[in-house]
Amino acid sequence: MAVFVVLASIIAYVSQTAPVGKYGGTPVGYALGGVAAAFVFWLMWFGVRKRQYKASMTTIQGWLSAHIYLGATLVVVATLHAAFQVGWNVHTLAYVLMLTVIASGFFGVYAYLRFPALQTENLGDDTLDAILLKIADLDKQATRISLAMPDNLQSAIERSVEGTIIGGGIYQQLRNKHPHCPTRRAVVMLEAVNNERAFKGEQAQALRSLYDVMLRKQKTVARARRDVRYRALMEAWLYVHVPLSFALLTALLAHIVSVFFYW
Amino acid sequence: MRLLLAHLVQNKNGQFARTDEVIESEAILIGRGTDCKLHLPDPRVGLHHATIQKSATDRFTIEAPNGVMMVDGRAERASLLMPGQKIQLGPYTFGVLPAPDNIDVALTIELTEPLADRTGAMAIAQKRARGGLGATWLSKRTLSWLFAAVVGVCFLVWPVYHAIKRDHYQHSHAGPLKKSITPDGAWDPGPLDSGHASFGRNCATCHQVPFVQVSNDACENCHQTVGWHFPHTTDAAKELHRAVFSADGSEGRCAACHRDHKGVNALKRQDLPLCTDCHRDLKTRHPEVGIPNITDLKSDHPPFKLSMLVPGKTGRDAVLRISQRDKAGLIEKSNLKFPHDVHLSPAKAGGVRSPNGRRAMECKNCHVPDETGTRFKPTTMKEHCQECHSLEFEPQASQRQVPHGRVDDVIATVNEFYAQAALLGKPIDQSDHQTQGLARAGARPPGHPAKNIAWVNQKAEAIVTEMMEKRTCFSCHEISRDMTTAGATWKIAPIAVTQHWLPKSRFPHNRHDTFECKKCHDVGKSKDSADIAIPDLNNCKSCHSGNDVEKDKAPGTCETCHGFHVGGARAGKPVALPKVPVAASDKIKSAVGLAEK
Repeated sequence: MAVFVVLASIIAYVSQTAPVGKYGGTPVGYALGGVAAAFVFWLMWFGVRKRQYKASMTTIQGWLSAHIYLGATLVVVATLHAAFQVGWNVHTLAYVLMLTVIASGFFGVYAYLRFPALQTENLGDDTLDAILLKIADLDKQATRISLAMPDNLQSAIERSVEGTIIGGGIYQQLRNKHPHCPTRRAVVMLEAVNNERAFKGEQAQALRSLYDVMLRKQKTVARARRDVRYRALMEAWLYVHVPLSFALLTALLAHIVSVFFYW
Repeated sequence: MRLLLAHLVQNKNGQFARTDEVIESEAILIGRGTDCKLHLPDPRVGLHHATIQKSATDRFTIEAPNGVMMVDGRAERASLLMPGQKIQLGPYTFGVLPAPDNIDVALTIELTEPLADRTGAMAIAQKRARGGLGATWLSKRTLSWLFAAVVGVCFLVWPVYHAIKRDHYQHSHAGPLKKSITPDGAWDPGPLDSGHASFGRNCATCHQVPFVQVSNDACENCHQTVGWHFPHTTDAAKELHRAVFSADGSEGRCAACHRDHKGVNALKRQDLPLCTDCHRDLKTRHPEVGIPNITDLKSDHPPFKLSMLVPGKTGRDAVLRISQRDKAGLIEKSNLKFPHDVHLSPAKAGGVRSPNGRRAMECKNCHVPDETGTRFKPTTMKEHCQECHSLEFEPQASQRQVPHGRVDDVIATVNEFYAQAALLGKPIDQSDHQTQGLARAGARPPGHPAKNIAWVNQKAEAIVTEMMEKRTCFSCHEISRDMTTAGATWKIAPIAVTQHWLPKSRFPHNRHDTFECKKCHDVGKSKDSADIAIPDLNNCKSCHSGNDVEKDKAPGTCETCHGFHVGGARAGKPVALPKVPVAASDKIKSAVGLAEK
């Protein structure tokens, strides 16, 4: 259907005779505009449809597939409706919003094709919950061992337990940048102390186990953070896609009203 | 392989309770997965965490290739099972017991690290990690409402409110880039035509009623003299208008062709189909109009029809239209004698005589461009002829001339001149020198009044007859002696100098001024004013292409020469040429309600 609409739009656009120039107000222009507007309303209805869980003739997968293909079609239909004309006005605003929404949707398609595989690769058999529990366990172990350690090491471990952020703000989630991570600092400190070989006997043994625990925590935290990042990336585009689609909806209404208000 | 598993569970008093279980299998898979023989339902355990099996040497080993396994405090990938070992898999600790009879491996199992409690810092971290972006300040719903509201208010509610109140124009605000912002400014789909720009910010000038297309009334408020496409006077013509403009779907709406907001100079439709859609088969569509089918200047444009004035006629009869194909009919009857060859005698041939000596004349001496530069002002006796063709009648009074006008006035003037001379002995407005000259010529009349009158009559008749029949008037005019009335009088044939030979076209002379006049109007050898020197179609085609662009040729579409709104103009009069757009006049301003601004 998408291919049909694209071809029909292009044929209609090319074959029209427009005595005062091709634009949205010719018969073909109105037809393309009507189709594009209908598409926008239908595409936005996806937000409603995906929340309806009761049995239906159609599957939500089918809807999503159509949502993507017809959304992509809209680029062609709306561009032809505008006859490649742009300006500083509400009409182009609606067009640009539409393109942004569609572009973010394309990123969504990309995200859903790519990140789940990376997530699986990162998590292996685990789930994020399991990883977080593992971290909690490692924290317990580390706390227990650190009680026998000098104060600076003990407080580094405590900071790691209390202050290790998994997730965090928007930027931290999306970029996975944690330059002041207390776990990493604790590991660096343990490494240094371990290399000094200042401890003897049982304490040296305990230091090695603490180092071991904290290294595992660091790796586990990194996995958790990667997972959070993938989740955030898979979500982030929706924060563009959905709000701008509502902006598009009002811009589209303004476009239609303005065109016919000053017909 | 038989495995004895002793589950150790600690009660709240710290005492252990033991439950035994025997598992029988080739190899025993330990993990979170439900397919594991030893199923450990804890998220910290791997799906397939470890395997106990018999080695090649008949001993029993535990291997954990995927997960972490601590054997007596050390991380191991694989280990032989030895009694006394403590093996930790996730939160579970296994103790290896000496195997009793019929049992290959005996293990205790104890959950030594129950799931951490979900309060405190870790719980917050977990919630945040699991919550994703939804746990931050971002909210799709809030953003959606916000964006939709901003767009809706700025581009829909605000403009509509002022559009209904009709006070847009008063609500302009200084915006960036030195542009003022009006509430409906963002609705503007494109630049207005330059002619409309002066009042264009007041949208209601043209868009008078919301949700109704711009009406012709709105256009005609200012454009009051726009012509029809063809005359619209008779009922049949009106019916034809209706038929033509309902067939093309425009319903006669100005805006069907004139779409604004398409650029500063894009209001005028100049495309070919505008004309050829109808004119390509006008013979079949509307045979009654009697116009041939025309599609292209290059192929089927008929020869020009010249519109010639007919002397002495008025109304429709005043104009005669003759095709240039009809060579015999191409004779101008202007009733003027004018040999172009004499007047354009070149300098080397001596030129023409003038009061200031001989000189060579040029076309522009008589044909002076009008204000638009497209055509020429009418040639007049006073401005263009009289300098040489003086109307003097008495050689001894060379500055005294008869008026250029009615014959009666000429006769009266001559009579008065000689009557005055008879009374005073000298003409009243002549210098002494001339009076003396007159006296010396024997013009001084005898003293008796009756004799004086006879002298005056005789003198005047001789002079006037000479003017009318031999020189002065006669040299330019067709004059016949009128014998019907008493006394001798003359009749000057009415003048009909055609000013506009091709009134249905527009020919801007100023845009062709790179050529000499004679390139198109070859009058150098014309001896007679009956000759017509209007160039024919081939002359135009030598420079202008047809519908298709040609190399080294000027455009030659319909619109190059013809306008659309020509039906209102009267034949024989120049068609109004489009004027250069100027700032809105007061009239326009008052029409569109901007007068007070």
